[in-house]
Amino acid sequence: MSPFWQQYLPLAIILSSLLPGLIIFTLKETQVKLRISLNLFGVGVKLLLVLLMWQAVKAGQQFYFSLPFLPGADLVLQGEALSLLFVVLSSVLWLATTIYAIGYLEQSPLRSRFFGYFSLCVSATVGLALAGNLVTFLLFYELLTLATFPLVVHRGTPESLAAGRRYLAYTLSGGVILMLGVALLHSLVQSPLFTPGGYVAAAISGNEGLLMLAFALMITGLGVKAALLPLHGWLPQAMVAPAPVSALLHAVAVVKAGAFGIIRLVYDVFGVESMQALQLAQPLMLLAAVTILYGSWRALAQQDIKRRLAYSTISQVSYITLGVAMLGPLAAVGGLVHLVHQGVMKITLFFCAGNFAETLGIHKIRELNGAGRRMPVTAMAFTLGALGMIGIPPTAGFISKWYLGLGVAEVGQNWLILVFALSGLLNAAYFLPVVYRMWFLPQTVPWPAEQRLSNRFETHWMLLLPATFTAILLLLMGLFASTELSPLSWAQLIVEREFRHD
Amino acid sequence: MMVVLLVLPLLSALFMLLWPRIAPLLALLTASVCSLVALQLLLLVSQQGSQQVLLAGWPSGLAISLEANSLSSLLILLTALLQLLVGLYAFATHRRDKLGAGFWPLSGMLQLGLTALWLSRDLFNLYVCLELLGIVAVALVSLSGDKAIKPALNYLLLSLFGSLCYLLGVAILYGAYGVLDITVLASQWQADLLSSTALLLMTLGLMLKAALWPLHGWLPAAHAAAPAPVSALLSALVVKGPLFILCLLWLQLAGATQVAAVAPWFAGCGLAALLLGGVSALRTPFAKNMVAYSTVAQLGYAMLALGLLLRFNQPLFAAALWLFVLAHALAKATCFLAVGEITATLGGKRISTLKGASQTMPLAMFAFAVAGGSLIGLPPSGGFLAKWALLQGLWLQGGQLFWLLVIVLATLLSAAYVFRAVVLAFNRADPVAPDFAPRILPQWLALLPALAVWAMALYSEPLLQLLKQEGL
Repeated sequence: MSPFWQQYLPLAIILSSLLPGLIIFTLKETQVKLRISLNLFGVGVKLLLVLLMWQAVKAGQQFYFSLPFLPGADLVLQGEALSLLFVVLSSVLWLATTIYAIGYLEQSPLRSRFFGYFSLCVSATVGLALAGNLVTFLLFYELLTLATFPLVVHRGTPESLAAGRRYLAYTLSGGVILMLGVALLHSLVQSPLFTPGGYVAAAISGNEGLLMLAFALMITGLGVKAALLPLHGWLPQAMVAPAPVSALLHAVAVVKAGAFGIIRLVYDVFGVESMQALQLAQPLMLLAAVTILYGSWRALAQQDIKRRLAYSTISQVSYITLGVAMLGPLAAVGGLVHLVHQGVMKITLFFCAGNFAETLGIHKIRELNGAGRRMPVTAMAFTLGALGMIGIPPTAGFISKWYLGLGVAEVGQNWLILVFALSGLLNAAYFLPVVYRMWFLPQTVPWPAEQRLSNRFETHWMLLLPATFTAILLLLMGLFASTELSPLSWAQLIVEREFRHD
Repeated sequence: MMVVLLVLPLLSALFMLLWPRIAPLLALLTASVCSLVALQLLLLVSQQGSQQVLLAGWPSGLAISLEANSLSSLLILLTALLQLLVGLYAFATHRRDKLGAGFWPLSGMLQLGLTALWLSRDLFNLYVCLELLGIVAVALVSLSGDKAIKPALNYLLLSLFGSLCYLLGVAILYGAYGVLDITVLASQWQADLLSSTALLLMTLGLMLKAALWPLHGWLPAAHAAAPAPVSALLSALVVKGPLFILCLLWLQLAGATQVAAVAPWFAGCGLAALLLGGVSALRTPFAKNMVAYSTVAQLGYAMLALGLLLRFNQPLFAAALWLFVLAHALAKATCFLAVGEITATLGGKRISTLKGASQTMPLAMFAFAVAGGSLIGLPPSGGFLAKWALLQGLWLQGGQLFWLLVIVLATLLSAAYVFRAVVLAFNRADPVAPDFAPRILPQWLALLPALAVWAMALYSEPLLQLLKQEGL
């Protein structure tokens, strides 16, 4: 019923960024046009393929591609609703980030290397999204670490090298611990396909301790990338990377890989019933709640724009974990949709921060006074992103928080309402002053390092367009949340399929 | 077929001595032909099971017998392929590196010694192979010139001492049983004091030759002093020879009580090698020494797997052992060739030479990083497959948290020393001369084995099948 090429569709989606990336490595610095066209060609092909898959999955089809790898665990790529959520997010945001990076890195050295690894990074992310079992997931999880490291240290300065070392120390340790957990689980129940409702239920009796250990190991491994509380130390430091990299790291690639892994682990490996039987949800929920408050609290004290955004990421990504850990359908919708919404909002904020830094030389929050008049479009986009983060309607952030709130009521963990309220307040407390400074305070000192990047716009159009695009996107996702095209309806579809089995 | 594999390198080595001018050509030709024949042999063995040949038509017991099972044919294929690759690399760089003409015949003899070792199942023949390997290896190390004399002499003395220990053990066994064929000997084996002494002596000698901790002291200096292609051969293949014999002894000969007594010691040595070797690799200031110490550490995995295999008799550990050997051979060949290429081009011996290498010599640096990924054990590389087998075995045994912790630590250590070099390479490069033009071909050659080890995921299924056939 499905033509044979459909089997290769998941592979093709990965290759559509991997192959251009590999070719880009071999290009010379001066072959700018060829490199840009290759990049955009890859993006275009990928979006087209993803569109194809999206339509088929919506109609109820599944894609499946496998290669023999380990005994009992093939390399499996699987296209289904949940993986597609993440694939669509990363492909669309890859488009925006590619354009942004081309503009951002104009005239800077070593661009072939940068764009090569950039493409590898996206390939690894998409592979991670499409991974059909834990072993395949582990593989792409490690590849992602390797592909992002050169991006973090791209500038080659002592700070960026120090940040890179720290990044590696955290993520590689996390990877090893994850491997240990995956190996343990494999020795208990093998590594079958991710199944809605999980596959460990049959093995629970007699293995409670080992299963709990496996869960703890894997959450620790994933928690490093998802920046759960004691494991978040690398994220604020990784800010020294160029702006497009930070944007990608926070919105799509690394942090989201961890969060996505937690979603997979909870719903498709352990499943709601086993989670309840083993009483694993409560500690995870607690951890996420503490991380949410801690991240917001630390963000409040940061004076550097990107550092404040970084701590905000720590807090916001834990909303996803929290939504997942509540184990209720509505909370799950909230967590899943926040995966998309947070990505779009955070990438907008990082684009804007990069714009301010590139155009005006602004890195500190107090230097932003009056920036709204000099760069109204960027400031508008930043404001939208910030409002979204706080959760003010009609932005996308409101939708996710609404569903998370409904989820709390549904599962009856009322103390979480308090967490949300407090975190919302803190979000407002660290974002609104920034917005206020941009629009309402007059400029007192000259811009630190102003550049005229464009005659017609406030900054280079390639920097402005992606920020505008994602800002509009996050508004649309909020306004049209109830239509069929929105991430919300897709998240509902996933949850419907996820919880149908019981 | 097996005879061809032995005679061809010997003949070509002789001809190389007669006509030194065509030596490289002959060496490459021999290696290619041997690779093809080895592939044939592997296919044959995988279809029809082990093959045995008795040389010169003598009856069994008198004749030198050669036995090829799936593991030996795999190792023969690996040997031939790496010889070919390293030969190409040496040919591509021999002008610049001033590699002595002696390299070609010696590498032919090395191939002969290794192939014979993989095929022999007789304690005395194995001794001959060991001795040949040791002497050829020392000669190869001394090709570097004056600065290599000291490590080479050191290597020679220790290697001879190791051979003597081994020979003494063989003599004791011959005195007691009157046979040296391993299968025959195993059928008459008695676990008494005499045989224990012999086993211990042989083990001591072999551990010394394989540079297994705590007898590894000679290896870093010798491997670091040798020219890059030689270090690649030594680290990738030569240390595996004595390890192979060690496995034969303990898996096929030794009695149950003897095995039970020695297993924890082997695992302990593996542990010490992993941790101390890793720390040394992290601390050494010289690039090639780092790679050499990494060999010491990685041999610890094989030792650990052997110890666990002896203790638990779990086939997963056997798979882990040989996967480590294969993955390490490929990865280490790349490491030495890549580091050798970088240090030769940029000039310098210290790790700081690698500063900025990701910009000046991206291909070689990429090769090093990729091979390093396998040493760390990142999926889907061969190192990961091996580690996965080890982890599975440990989890299945249950209650082995200590060893799991050791593996985690060792993995992190290897990551630390690999990325110490990689982070340096991502530093901003110092400006280079305008006519700076690194050669491309040697860098590609260095990359090939690393790609092969990462592609192991694609052929892991047949590989595991082959290793499973193995009775070892």
